[in-house]
Amino acid sequence: MSLQKERSSVLQTTRKINELIMGHFSRAWDVKTQSKPIAWITVFTPVELLYALDVYPISPEHFGAMCSARGLVLDYLEQAEMGGYSENLCSYSRCGLGYTISGMNGLMPPPDILITFRNSCDVYVKWWQSLHAHLGTPLFLGEAPYVLTGADLGNYVLDYVVKQLEQLIKVIEEKFGLKFDMEKLVQTVKLSDKSSDLWLETLKLRRSKPCPLGGRDSASDIFPLVVMQGTDESVKFYEALFKEVKEKVDKKEGVIENERFRLLFDGIWLWHALDLIKYFEDKGAVFVYEPYSEAWAYRLDASKPLESIARKILAMGLNLDIDLRIESFLDSIKEFQVDAAVLFSNRSCKSWSAPQLVTADILSKEFNIPYLLFEADMADPRQYSEAQIKNRIDAFLEVLGEA
Amino acid sequence: MYVGIDAGASATKAVIVNKDGEIVSYAIVPSGINFKASSEGALTKALKLSDLSLEGLLYTVSTGYGRALVNAKSTSSEIICISRGIHKLFPLVRTIIDVGGQDSKAIRIAEDGRVLDFVMNDKCAAGTGRFLEVMSNILEKPIEELSKLHFKSSKPIKISSTCTVFAESEVISQISQGSEIEDVIAGLHEAVAERIYNMSSRIRFEKDVALTGGVAKNQGFVDALSKKIKLTPTLPEEPQIICAYGAALAAIKRHQEGVG
Repeated sequence: MSLQKERSSVLQTTRKINELIMGHFSRAWDVKTQSKPIAWITVFTPVELLYALDVYPISPEHFGAMCSARGLVLDYLEQAEMGGYSENLCSYSRCGLGYTISGMNGLMPPPDILITFRNSCDVYVKWWQSLHAHLGTPLFLGEAPYVLTGADLGNYVLDYVVKQLEQLIKVIEEKFGLKFDMEKLVQTVKLSDKSSDLWLETLKLRRSKPCPLGGRDSASDIFPLVVMQGTDESVKFYEALFKEVKEKVDKKEGVIENERFRLLFDGIWLWHALDLIKYFEDKGAVFVYEPYSEAWAYRLDASKPLESIARKILAMGLNLDIDLRIESFLDSIKEFQVDAAVLFSNRSCKSWSAPQLVTADILSKEFNIPYLLFEADMADPRQYSEAQIKNRIDAFLEVLGEA
Repeated sequence: MYVGIDAGASATKAVIVNKDGEIVSYAIVPSGINFKASSEGALTKALKLSDLSLEGLLYTVSTGYGRALVNAKSTSSEIICISRGIHKLFPLVRTIIDVGGQDSKAIRIAEDGRVLDFVMNDKCAAGTGRFLEVMSNILEKPIEELSKLHFKSSKPIKISSTCTVFAESEVISQISQGSEIEDVIAGLHEAVAERIYNMSSRIRFEKDVALTGGVAKNQGFVDALSKKIKLTPTLPEEPQIICAYGAALAAIKRHQEGVG
């Protein structure tokens, strides 16, 4: 069986993702030729606002994941390393910087503005400042404070982020001679909310036994939520997806025939080694819940559009206090009938990996959920040892089977 | 008769047992790059030692890195095999530390031998046999001699790098600065012991503790680890074959159950 086949999705709707992604990038080049502004954004920068302003968003992180999944990432990583960036830096940032240094002749058109909202990721600011240093493109640095309690999603912390969004609108209006239209934002917020709602409802269907949607699909299905939030296309995609998954549930069709173990996956996927998901499935283990997949959806209130998207920036999982995060984790364990957890300690993402042992301890001590923790990198295939990881997976599943 | 074959990163081990799980014969050969050849080599050797032929073998279970390449009825993971092997030989053991060529593991087992928890090293070579192999090359001392020299050391040198590549240059600079080779060797054993102790501490450490794997044959390392964990670990007579022995025990069980 070829590698391509091993990675391939199970659902018909997921197969349309490729077309959607390619459409997103080729439209970016159309936009560029029409001299409309392109923004390079970090994820969780509100794309709803950018679409409403007629600024086209491109995410270098998404680009990094995609290059890694398609085996195209090494060139860019090496370009960055030849340029002096350390191999120990985040692989998404190295990929984006390598792409920039090597002349930006691929899927991402050069940016007209660089926008980031630092929320969970400390690399964002320095990465975007480095891009700014390389390109000289205008830079907007937003900041979302760490959310310590649920109250921060409604108090001065929220106000602070709203003010920055207003400032961002002003910057874009002045730089590109565009006019902000609240009605347009209300529309994109409605569409974004609809996509999130549909995706969350789809994820809930994974509580069924057998699980109708596994990691091979969820790893791809998130992309419209990353860069296409607030578009019709995104809504259509999630409508079709929900319908297909619902049918599977009604027909009691699962990802795998013989569901032995229902697993939680904690971390960003290993884009260069997505075939690992199939490896688990062939041994009767299906991923039913990933905090990562859930993280992309956030319900918005179209009657308070700016406040709503400010809250979305703040409430991103890793930006939440660890107790708040664990709470939602634990609820899901019960709802999704999770038997065991797989924790991917990601060399690139310290904010994700650092608290993993705390989570693991709670899982095993309070919920008697065994876990497997392994180390690799999300996008850099050189930091991955296939035989060793498969060896651990085999041992883990065999021990689970004996329990 | 039943066979367990452990196709490990450095060595391939074959163990033949009778229906009561008693070891009839065993053999250890280097793995090289061809697991199929090394596993056949190990089995042929073990058969010769026991005057048996292939026809007398009822069931084979393979384990280890090359397990899929071995001609066997079914496979099992090292974690389960090591636990089975140790539990049969030493029923009082609750924690097993296994240090192999490319992997090290710590396993906690229940009274009935079931695996309760386990940890393995991250993908780095420090804390495995490979680390000591690399160092023995640099020091131009065969692995067997490391143990002897270890006990001549009076003040082990602290090796601070946990990375094999960095430790390599550290060792070279220690030697060039005039450090005694035995002190460097004792320091290396301590570094590996420390690494393994740190990893093992992630599971609850319960007595008795057994030590298995090829590196357990290095008395210098055993000495360093015993000091670190403040316990004298139980050592099987031939620690390197425990995983293959466990596979052979699995072969008896699977044959009875009609698996494969």
